[in-house]
Amino acid sequence: MKIFNILLMVILPTTVLADWETNMPRGVTPTSEVAYDLHMLIFYITVVIGILVFGAMLYSIIYHRKSLGHKPATFHESTKVEIIWTIIPFIILVGMAVPATKALILMEDTRDSEITLKVTGYQWMWQYEYLEDNVSFFSKIDNESNVARRLNSGIEVSKVDHYLRNVDNVVVLPTDTKVRILLTASDVIHAWWVPELGGKKDAIPGYINEMWVDIKKPGIYRGQCAELCGKDHGFMPIVVKAVPKNEYYKWVSIQKSNKVAITK
Amino acid sequence: MSANIDKLHDDHSHTPSGIMRWITTTNHKDIGSMYLWFSLIMFFIGGLMALVIRAELFQPGLQLVVPGFFNQMTTMHALVMIFGAVMPAFVGLANWQLPIMIGAPDMALPRLNNWSFWILPFAFTMMLSTLFFESGGPAAGWTLYPPLSLQGGDSMPFVILSIHLLGLSSILGAINVIATILNMRAPGMTLMKMPIFVWTWLITAFLLIASMPVLAGAITMLLTDRFFGTTFFTASGGGDPVLFQHIFWFFGHPEVYILILPAFGIVSTIIPAFSRKKLFGYDSMVYATASIALLSFIVWAHHMFTVGMPLAGELFFMFTTMLIAVPTGVKVFNWVATMWKGSMTFETPMLFALAFIVLFTVGGFSGLMLAMVPADFQYHDTYFVVAHFHYVLVPGAVFAIIAAVYYWLPKWTGKMYNESLGKLHFWLTTIFVNLTFFPMHFVGLAGMPRRIPDYAVQFADFNAIASVGAFGFGLSQLLFVYILFNTLKQKVTAEDKCWDGAEGLEWTLSSPPPYHSFDKAPKID
Amino acid sequence: MKNFKKTYLSLTLFAVFMFSFSYMLVPLYDIFCEITGLNGKTNQTKVLNINENPAERFVKVKFTSTIANSAPFIFEPVDREMTVQIGKIYNTLYTLTNNSNSIKHATASPSVVPSEDAEYFKKIECFCFSQQEINGLETKELPLQFIIDDDLPLDTKTLILSYTMFNTTDQIGSN
Repeated sequence: MKIFNILLMVILPTTVLADWETNMPRGVTPTSEVAYDLHMLIFYITVVIGILVFGAMLYSIIYHRKSLGHKPATFHESTKVEIIWTIIPFIILVGMAVPATKALILMEDTRDSEITLKVTGYQWMWQYEYLEDNVSFFSKIDNESNVARRLNSGIEVSKVDHYLRNVDNVVVLPTDTKVRILLTASDVIHAWWVPELGGKKDAIPGYINEMWVDIKKPGIYRGQCAELCGKDHGFMPIVVKAVPKNEYYKWVSIQKSNKVAITK
Repeated sequence: MSANIDKLHDDHSHTPSGIMRWITTTNHKDIGSMYLWFSLIMFFIGGLMALVIRAELFQPGLQLVVPGFFNQMTTMHALVMIFGAVMPAFVGLANWQLPIMIGAPDMALPRLNNWSFWILPFAFTMMLSTLFFESGGPAAGWTLYPPLSLQGGDSMPFVILSIHLLGLSSILGAINVIATILNMRAPGMTLMKMPIFVWTWLITAFLLIASMPVLAGAITMLLTDRFFGTTFFTASGGGDPVLFQHIFWFFGHPEVYILILPAFGIVSTIIPAFSRKKLFGYDSMVYATASIALLSFIVWAHHMFTVGMPLAGELFFMFTTMLIAVPTGVKVFNWVATMWKGSMTFETPMLFALAFIVLFTVGGFSGLMLAMVPADFQYHDTYFVVAHFHYVLVPGAVFAIIAAVYYWLPKWTGKMYNESLGKLHFWLTTIFVNLTFFPMHFVGLAGMPRRIPDYAVQFADFNAIASVGAFGFGLSQLLFVYILFNTLKQKVTAEDKCWDGAEGLEWTLSSPPPYHSFDKAPKID
Repeated sequence: MKNFKKTYLSLTLFAVFMFSFSYMLVPLYDIFCEITGLNGKTNQTKVLNINENPAERFVKVKFTSTIANSAPFIFEPVDREMTVQIGKIYNTLYTLTNNSNSIKHATASPSVVPSEDAEYFKKIECFCFSQQEINGLETKELPLQFIIDDDLPLDTKTLILSYTMFNTTDQIGSN
């Protein structure tokens, strides 16, 4: 059972299945890609170690059993062996730490961002502010999902468009632009997470956190709040629409002229 | 001293019978039994809450409970399982086994021992009763992060008081354990001759005393922030919600090692017994356990990688967390080396111990993945984390407890359990535990966050499998209860040495052992 | 028997020490943040060594605001962005409006990103953590005077200061 599942995870990571998704997306930003690559590296290393250790166990279980008449050996210590199986794992860990450190330094480097998006978490919706352009709006779960999710709503949720992952106002961001994302909250701790954009940071009331994204591919990317924030924690999704730069600036000027009403 | 004890305890007409026996007992065997029965009951209560969770998560959409109640279930499930099931089970095993393994007549402080136990039902009655309050039970997660945990409900002061009481029970128990082990070993039993289970409990007891008071401090600060105007965790008063997380996890990480070290001791006892071969690298096992305990104090922020820690902090905690894999790996290798070229038989305790090694290691692998910060940004607060800790706790800690019960039950009761039923219990449990928790790795990686009562449709299939697994797992534990009662009904008495390969002082006593054992210290070679 | 008493005493003291340690973590946390400037806690400076010849180095400073817990306030920076020379003193303002009819108390808490550069954002005069009393429907100006320290790392080109305004009326009790 376990072996089948492990094989599945190894063979399938590059295929995208509608359901039965078993792996993290590689995503569309440099940060999501380093995270994915590191994830797969560590995963493969643990698979190899698992095969070795469980293989030894399996061999022993099959051949070193009383019912086969195997007599027990008497050895019960070896300093040499203990040293070897302390040093080798340590070396493997150092090997893992190098790419991990490089990836982390990259992910935490928000310098030279072109635009700044300030995200504020509320119970239970997000507020987005484009700092350079003074555009600001709230974004909450879209009405269709919100009605369908009620206890015993009677609505078949598989028929709802992107159930629980659709919002009324999407976040529009330009592709090929380093975007600095500021995070804070108004009431309790929330967390802003769009898996395909990589990175996740907590939104903490009274404090500002930051992360960055540089979206390489236009598209719609969906995420959710990732820190328990009360009863509707599961119902405050995030939708990011990434468009080419010129389209983005067109959108911004429309927002500015409309002075999008702040709805709550 | 032993002459006095002989005079006092020859005649049992002064010990009460019936319920008063259990309320007033100072006997480590009685108290051990009470802890174990209590733990079993709490395991089912926590399990019921898990089934409410899994029933709701069986399909997308909300069918059974409102989100607020769902959050109460996730919160209480964790509190009950950690503080009501796993920890008391280990204390129960400690109570039964430590004195007889070291040749002592009882624990160092028998009356305090009784009190440590009886705090538990009282504290849990208080905690569970909050579910019936109008504002409901605690719903901020067992981790109680502010500001959310400060937001409301009348349950909060009661939950905080219960956790204080539970902490007190653990601290007093730990003092008892350390005093017993350090001062009451039979002459000739040096520290490095102690059974490994005794070592793991000695180290666990130190962890308890070091960490539980820190939890007490953290929850007291929550209490005063809520009711007495302090601002430890509010920015407007110069405080910081993240400060709570630091204090909590400074307790929380040693806590998870408290939940696993006794399990290591159990596995290190059972594998040698059924391999008919001494534990490989006894000294290394002791040092590895001690290093895990020490390291556990400098890894806490790996539970908090997304709070916005400076890079230097993230790197430090990533490295120390990775480092803990080294002594843990040493233990796994030593277990395999113990089995290697042994002469194994596969009775039920051994089956659970072997499954522990494999499945706990799977949990260890996901733990190593979680340690890598850039990847952790994608795992944090998703079902990948839920999968990780359930693997180390269920086929980890819980399997070890079950293995220990099967292993020592013939000693405690003098009756042998039904081996075929035991094996059936093992296979059902193992299959269902994997069915329940392995798919959680997938949905977590695919993007499903934790602590949500409802999810997007793409997560439906694995959630359905997990829910089926959970119900199967729960039902299989009813078989365990049947096996226990069935054992007690047996007529045939077990031998002193119930297992061919078992070693240790407990096997020199009768099965069951006398109410008072080792009134005179045994000889140790 | 003496061994037992020693064991109990030392273990009890250990438990008591760890309880007080959790409270010690509170100032330790602040000290750590202060020394390293992490967590965006800025320094409030009274005494300055003003460099007579500040370097020709300019950084962008952005100002933003958040209102906590749906307080009935409007709280905005007057200047959303300033180009600022390192080592020179600047003045700016935030405005706070009490949208309700009754008197309120408000307290602002600051935060700076990048957090590792927060220690170089030195506030000479600010309204951080000071209780503001504001009448119903009143608007107040909250001044901020600051200077960016010469030692700001060379590769930092932008600093962002954020204030979160809390309604702290209940903590004081309104008149």
